[in-house]
Amino acid sequence: MSAPKPDSTGFCIIGGGASGATAAKLLTEAGHRIVLLERGPWRAFSDFSSDELANINRHYLTPDPKISPRTVRHTSEEEAERGEFAPTPYLVGGGTTHWAGWVPRMLASDFRQRSLHGEIGGASLVDWPISYDELEPYYSQVEWALGVSGAAGANKFESHRSRPYPLPPLPSTRYSRRFTRGCDGLGWNSFPMPTAQLSAPYRGRPATVQSAFVNFIGDPSGTRSGVLATFIPDALATGRLDLRPNSYVRELAVDARGRIRAAVYEDADGHLVEQEADTFILACNAIESARLLLMSASPRFPDGLANDNGLVGRYLTAHEYTEALGVFDDELLYPWAGGGFITSATYQFYQTDYARGFIGGGLIAAGSAGIGLPANWTLPGHPRWGAAAKNFDREYFNRGMSAGIVLNDLPQEANRVDLDPTVKDAWGLPVARVTHQAHPNDIAQANFLVDRCADILEAAGASKVWRNYISELTGNSRHQHGTLRMGDDPSSSVVDRWCQAHSVPGLVVVDGSTFPTPGGVNPTLTIMANAWRVIDHLLSASA
Amino acid sequence: MTEAPLFLNDHQRYTLQAAMERVMPADDDPGATDAGTVIWLDRYLSGTGYIHAKPDGSGFLNLGPREAAVWLGRIDRLRAVYAAGLSDLDLRSSSQYGHEFSRLAPGQQDEILRQVEQAEATPSAAESDASAQRAAKRANENSFDEDTAPFFQLLVAHTRQAFYSDPVYGGNRDRVGWKTIGFPGPMSLADTQANRYTTEAYFADGTDLDVENS
Repeated sequence: MSAPKPDSTGFCIIGGGASGATAAKLLTEAGHRIVLLERGPWRAFSDFSSDELANINRHYLTPDPKISPRTVRHTSEEEAERGEFAPTPYLVGGGTTHWAGWVPRMLASDFRQRSLHGEIGGASLVDWPISYDELEPYYSQVEWALGVSGAAGANKFESHRSRPYPLPPLPSTRYSRRFTRGCDGLGWNSFPMPTAQLSAPYRGRPATVQSAFVNFIGDPSGTRSGVLATFIPDALATGRLDLRPNSYVRELAVDARGRIRAAVYEDADGHLVEQEADTFILACNAIESARLLLMSASPRFPDGLANDNGLVGRYLTAHEYTEALGVFDDELLYPWAGGGFITSATYQFYQTDYARGFIGGGLIAAGSAGIGLPANWTLPGHPRWGAAAKNFDREYFNRGMSAGIVLNDLPQEANRVDLDPTVKDAWGLPVARVTHQAHPNDIAQANFLVDRCADILEAAGASKVWRNYISELTGNSRHQHGTLRMGDDPSSSVVDRWCQAHSVPGLVVVDGSTFPTPGGVNPTLTIMANAWRVIDHLLSASA
Repeated sequence: MTEAPLFLNDHQRYTLQAAMERVMPADDDPGATDAGTVIWLDRYLSGTGYIHAKPDGSGFLNLGPREAAVWLGRIDRLRAVYAAGLSDLDLRSSSQYGHEFSRLAPGQQDEILRQVEQAEATPSAAESDASAQRAAKRANENSFDEDTAPFFQLLVAHTRQAFYSDPVYGGNRDRVGWKTIGFPGPMSLADTQANRYTTEAYFADGTDLDVENS
């Protein structure tokens, strides 16, 4: 089945999450009429509520693995099994509908890992083709456009910033205060986590409502600063955004000269539609953007679009979230207050110290212990059932917290996304197969940081502490990067410094797939800043 | 039960009610029976009519055709696992104590449930080491894969979900689950939409940590 062919457009964005919405805002505000294709629905705030069961347990927000599966394996010798590696919502708003809104910056050193550390065996460490200083103005742009709440200068390890935060930090939670006390006791710097929530009214929007139902739960109040409440409305206000939800792009069709002719998508009624454009902007997140290029094979690109050098899908990095957990007998911490992640953080162990036996490091921050909500909360040693379980619930539900990490993992050529040869999604399309094996540096770094997390909890007065060491990466942070590497050399990267595909004119990538290395912080702010930089260049080049 | 049964037969309901009460027993605080956990599960197993509450709490969403097909398949498996699991409880009860499960003393019911729990914890030879490890990890985290979990894991997880999730789903009646653990949940889903629900009262308020006595 096919539907009437829509008019060609100048810019067609594929993906309506953090990066696609950034591109949509900038292009429409610059006067361009654009089309944005989003595979998922366009929900109103009234389509969300504080429903733990639907959001966390019944796939209301993140993809149902029976509809949109992925497969996972450690090495190419293994048979991949169905699994959930880094699932993010398929919705207008994307990952910013499920986030808590942590928006810390990467450091200047994150852009120069190869220069700083040289060759690391088993890894493919490279510098970014751009520097922190090139990105810095765009960090500020995003922070001011979203209305980030934070305290400039409080993170003593932060690289240069040109502007303070537009809003003061959010009020402190008890678990955050406890974390700060632990860091203070150890003589370690800590700071209020910069957060994409409004500590005060900002640019016509009210201060953020502090619900308990935040992380992995959609926002019924519209007061959290995801792109559904910010950049999408900004773009719509121009009258130049043609936003098409439920439009699942299955192929970028290429003409004989190797230019993209059209994005071919299936609409809500099952019709195949071809959208032509001068420039296609890919913004599906690292796993799905790589998958779409690999599904777009043609005589010119038999191994997938932009994949002449076989690098599409490679160098997947995924962070990993792990933590130390503690309980406190002397205080009710209410670890669900504000959703469990209105918090403090430290970069004390972000920078490399070779004496530790590994390179890199990452963010440490306080939070609830996992999903800190009634139906899904747990702590180690939680009895499964009966009177003991109920006593444990009563005793510890309000007394547990975490100090958790964002692992700064190393890119490796063998860690990749490709198309699963047998498993199909509900549309009959091949699913992303993730092949990922941790580098020894990843494990050493993670477990060192977990020990530092435990130090903080102990210094904060925890009555008991558990350490969740890791032995593999599971995609549990939902962060994903690296699969369409950015670089100056077309033989060793997929896109150039402006995130334009080396081998495909008119194809620009704005999501985190371009990150040569992932940094040790939540990536969304950097993704949006880089998207802003790339679109700024596109606009000046086309002006 | 204050609500007409939808899917479970009477015997299954009594058996489940007894088993769920052992998972979340009443003590000084209400237990599974008081919270209506069987109503919650009966709704869940009845089809696709109770999967996602309407965000304003006024009923339940209609699933799209793709979602409905997947949920029907998922629920079909749950029905079969529950039917077999409940029969197994009765079989074990009859052979060991001479009565069906719901008529046993609580201590005897606990013993039967422990046997089932242990039987599930032993991985079958067919399971690969990797999947056994993953299953063990999931069990550790108290999370589980609803599409593959065996009977006792489902029973425990669903009892907890029913006791602690929003009352709109039929369990946690009068918010007794939340009151038991001291969680100030919203009065209704509609309140969360109207921004009448906030946890700001539970933030730090500047009180000195060292003199605070909770």
